[in-house]
Amino acid sequence: MAATELLTTKVRSEGLGLRRLLRSPGLLDRFALFVLVALILVAIFAPLIAPHDPLIPAGPPLTPPGRAFWFGTDQIGYDIFSRVVFGLRASLVGAFVVILSGIVIGGLIGLTAGAVGGWVDSALMRTTDVFLALPAPLLAIAVVAAIGPGFTHTLLAVAIVWWPWYARIVRGEITALRHRPQTEAAKLSGISRRRIWFRHLLPGSLPAVLVLATLDVGGLILILAGLSFLGLGAPAPAPELGAMSAQGLRFLLSSWWIPIVPAAFVAILAFVANLVGDGIRDLMGSME
Amino acid sequence: MLRLVVRRLGEMLVVLLVLTAVVFVLRQLQPADPARVALGGRASTGAVEEYRRELGFDKPLLVQYVTYLGNVVQGDFQASVRTRRPVSEDLAVAIPATLELAAVALLAAVIGGVALGVVGAAKWRGSAVVRGVMIFGASIPVFLLAYGGILIFSRRLGWLPGTGRTSYREFHGPTGLLLVDSLIEGRFDVFLDALRHLILPALTIALLSAVSIGRVLRSSLFTTLHAPYARTARAKGLPERVVIARHGLRNASGPAISMAGLQLGLMFAGIVIVETIFAWPGIGWYMAQSIPTNDFAAIGAVTLILGALYVVINALVDVLQMVADPRIRH
Amino acid sequence: MSGPDSDAGVIVENARATTGEAATPPSVVARVEDLRVTFDRRGTPLHALRGVSLEVRAGEILGIVGESGSGKTVLGLSLLGLLPDDPRPEISGSVDVLGTDMMTGHERDRRALRRRTLGAVFQDPSTSLNPTMSVGQQIVEAAGTRDEAVRLLEAVGIPDPKRRMRSYPHELSGGQQQRVMIAMAIANRPSLVIADEPTTALDVTVQSEILDLIAALRADLGSSFVFVTHDLGVAAEIADRIVVLYAGRLLEEGSTADVLTDPAHPYTIGLLASRLQLRSPRDRPVVSLPGDVPDPESPPPGCPFAPRCELVVEACTDQLIPPIEIPHRAGTAACIRLDDARALRRSMHTGDPWEAPPSIEGAAVQLRGVTKSFTLRSRFGSAVKVDALRGIDLEVARGEAVALVGESGSGKSTLLRIVAGLEQRDGGEMEIGVAAPQMIFQNALASLTPWLTVRELVGERLSGRRVSRAAIDRAVDEALVRVGLTPRVARARSRQLSGGQAQRVAIARAIVDPPGLLLADEPTSSLDVSLRAVILNLLNRLRRDLGLAIMFVTHDLAAARVIADRIAVMHDGTIVELGEAGQVCADPQHPYTRALLASLPGESLETGGAAWQPRSS
Repeated sequence: MAATELLTTKVRSEGLGLRRLLRSPGLLDRFALFVLVALILVAIFAPLIAPHDPLIPAGPPLTPPGRAFWFGTDQIGYDIFSRVVFGLRASLVGAFVVILSGIVIGGLIGLTAGAVGGWVDSALMRTTDVFLALPAPLLAIAVVAAIGPGFTHTLLAVAIVWWPWYARIVRGEITALRHRPQTEAAKLSGISRRRIWFRHLLPGSLPAVLVLATLDVGGLILILAGLSFLGLGAPAPAPELGAMSAQGLRFLLSSWWIPIVPAAFVAILAFVANLVGDGIRDLMGSME
Repeated sequence: MLRLVVRRLGEMLVVLLVLTAVVFVLRQLQPADPARVALGGRASTGAVEEYRRELGFDKPLLVQYVTYLGNVVQGDFQASVRTRRPVSEDLAVAIPATLELAAVALLAAVIGGVALGVVGAAKWRGSAVVRGVMIFGASIPVFLLAYGGILIFSRRLGWLPGTGRTSYREFHGPTGLLLVDSLIEGRFDVFLDALRHLILPALTIALLSAVSIGRVLRSSLFTTLHAPYARTARAKGLPERVVIARHGLRNASGPAISMAGLQLGLMFAGIVIVETIFAWPGIGWYMAQSIPTNDFAAIGAVTLILGALYVVINALVDVLQMVADPRIRH
Repeated sequence: MSGPDSDAGVIVENARATTGEAATPPSVVARVEDLRVTFDRRGTPLHALRGVSLEVRAGEILGIVGESGSGKTVLGLSLLGLLPDDPRPEISGSVDVLGTDMMTGHERDRRALRRRTLGAVFQDPSTSLNPTMSVGQQIVEAAGTRDEAVRLLEAVGIPDPKRRMRSYPHELSGGQQQRVMIAMAIANRPSLVIADEPTTALDVTVQSEILDLIAALRADLGSSFVFVTHDLGVAAEIADRIVVLYAGRLLEEGSTADVLTDPAHPYTIGLLASRLQLRSPRDRPVVSLPGDVPDPESPPPGCPFAPRCELVVEACTDQLIPPIEIPHRAGTAACIRLDDARALRRSMHTGDPWEAPPSIEGAAVQLRGVTKSFTLRSRFGSAVKVDALRGIDLEVARGEAVALVGESGSGKSTLLRIVAGLEQRDGGEMEIGVAAPQMIFQNALASLTPWLTVRELVGERLSGRRVSRAAIDRAVDEALVRVGLTPRVARARSRQLSGGQAQRVAIARAIVDPPGLLLADEPTSSLDVSLRAVILNLLNRLRRDLGLAIMFVTHDLAAARVIADRIAVMHDGTIVELGEAGQVCADPQHPYTRALLASLPGESLETGGAAWQPRSS
């Protein structure tokens, strides 16, 4: 029994494989994932799926939903279904671009602040905090209003107010990691600073960033649609869900489908995105 | 504790300065020359130059900013291109309408958020359903909600008015807040009418925030109800509702209150949309009207006012929490 | 330990509440019958308890002793009827406390029982008290009235109780917080108090006070206590009767005196033998249990200890072994080889003596007048300057092992971190005579970056050199074998490792390129008793093979004595005593060293008759 040099062989199995990840969510989450993937595919293949050109009137104005026009036509005679298909594309691209820019800008700032520490950290985070303390959606409205409406301008405006969240979260994770024994041990191992940053610190912030990003998709879709609704997106007749809904507002009481259908698709898209984001957050949480 | 409070208020001032600087920079960024816009296309170049000097646009940027800041502090936001009146006059009429709407909406959001959070965190079969409902609530664009409200409660059921703020256009009171003024003057008919007009837009704005508050409260309640001190409370034999109220909610309220403060930002953006749809004569509606005419004096002013309100309220929320936390108080 | 029978008489004095086998059988306050609790971890069953039966008698202190994963905490929570219920575990068997079934009874009845007749004390008082509620309010919740709450505070030895009622938990020391917990637990004179590791989070001197308090309260109130602990020594100090849990099974039950002096189950024998004491031999490896505690996801079908047992036969591995009456004394043990087990006790102490460590010229590290202070700025605004080190002089020779011993706040870890270069000293001089000292940490798992493989983590230290990948791999494999792991472990990531395996990997990383000076920050204190001995033996071996100097930080004098040539006792930022390890333990010069030695739990047992007094107020 006193054997010191016993070879310990058994190691626990990896435990949380991809299979477990896919198997564990509930029915609602799997359904949401399915719908989200379907909507993304629709957005990618929009030109193939849309029966009509979204910018050419396809039939008589104000046609109610029916066999010829699934979602009806609007006041000009555009086919609403075709325009919704392209509108989904704009919504998804918009959310994706803003999140990506948030991750890149915020990630770099957060990594630098967290890994360097000291006055660099204070300076970067004070600046970030000031931005965080401003009301982001309101500022976005003001920014687009100042630089002029348009799809790219909207994305630029939202990206400008969006990155601080990512900077904050990456910095928080990195700072926590930097003071953990694992990083101290890595430092004592005499490895390069670059390797510590990118091998020991940065990967640790990925789960939190991923969760934030997936949770952000739904909210961004709503905010972009709201800006578009206010006339800050691409100029009219461009197929954007928010703008379509706004332009149909005066037909709400007579031809309800014109404002409602695009708005409903914003809701569906945001709902499945939020469900998937929430599911991923739960999964990540349970993997700790 | 005093030092922390002072520091927090100092931070607030810095943020307010940055806010004015941002709006100032945005004003500079506008493609259209404000002097040219103000005088119209037919004005001579000389007249435009003259007007630019009058506005101080020939001075260095920093000087311009200081002048601008001075004006803003005194409540001078220059003239609106659209209404041809000083923006401050337009705002004076519109602000009470928005304040009333925002206050009622915030109240509804907090009440709804607490209810959702507690119901969602408690252990019962329906909590999964509550999760789905909350996520759905967080996914409806505010304009769809407004449509639904108008179509169902105004158009179909006829319970509530669909647009406007009051049926008594001739009624005016000292504060401009209809709910307050009507009570001061004893006009209950006006009060009820104003309340009926408020319900739809206020609830429309509140829902999204209620859900956000509810989600944060649910998750922090979940944490506190699983904390060791909650186990201690249960080990004392306290009933679950006492554990939730006294040990759970009290420690979970911090994040939820902060979230309520942060939600104001989204709520203010929602106000712009909702006031447009319900033809609510507040500053959101005013801002939305100014967007197509590119009236940045008006847009900037509304951004400043709502932004400052947001910054100040969040600072106050933080200060209140510092005062309430025994770990800071002592 | 060989367990001289002469000790037994003394220990029975300790167990005076049970009064041995009195004429009338003592009444029972709680009875657990064949309890099985299985949790669900995302679809995988986690077997916490696998058929445990026991009873708690009126007025006794029952010690439940077990290592991590033994199910001791789950058993404690079961007695309170407070098992976590999301997701709800699968439960069979019964837990009867004073006539109420704590598993299936109506929640209202269980709550009423907790309110009136049960008390609970948990491990970490700093998180078990509500941070935003005054101490007074929290006690009133249990006691009913303010006057009663003040009386309770006084009863648990809080000075100036009236004033303390208004305090918040963060304003109290750890020991005072635990006293407040105890005050709540004894409100309404409970029939039964469940104390789950109530002293583990505390320093040894404070632990000793809390044990005194519990013993005194039991005498005053006549309540029964269930005292859950991982430390046999603590159980020996306080309990009348001991049950030993292992991997969800009850392996042995008996009076404290019997279990400690005459252990029956091979596991208990091994556990007692591997416990470090001031009498443990220093000149040879300490007795250790091979292998790891079974994984609760897949416990062995038979005796859970069978994979680590020397006496294992086929019948041990087929089916669960029920408790069997021990033939020569009172009590039970779940072992079919009890006769051979007695012999096992005598064979435990054999082992070849260590060869002398190599003596190398020169100093590994020299410290002269090293000072360090921190400004502690709490999140809540106040700033306090703390002198962590007040002028430390210390020299560690190459190849020498020095232990820094002290309680929390003594500055021992700060000193180590300064030598490592993780902190900068404020003043004084430091010379390091070897290249790049390496460090191993208390929480070994946290010291391994979770997304990197063991091969990457260990090989990383060689990556700067101009050596081929194959050479690095070979060096990694060699290092792993040297610390007692197979090279296959190189493919694993940290979450696949047990605590013991993780510490070995950390050591492998430190010695893959032998560092001349190894800094060890409490490397054994978060490990189970049976694993501590293994790691200490490993360090002793490596030290001799590789000529390492070691600075070993610990709060445990017994561990320090085994690993170190010299011991430096630290208190309040200074070294109060420095001397040869055996000398310091046997003949302490400084009062603080004496106090530390006196509060070592379970130590008085072995020093025998005269010095030892039963615990009472």
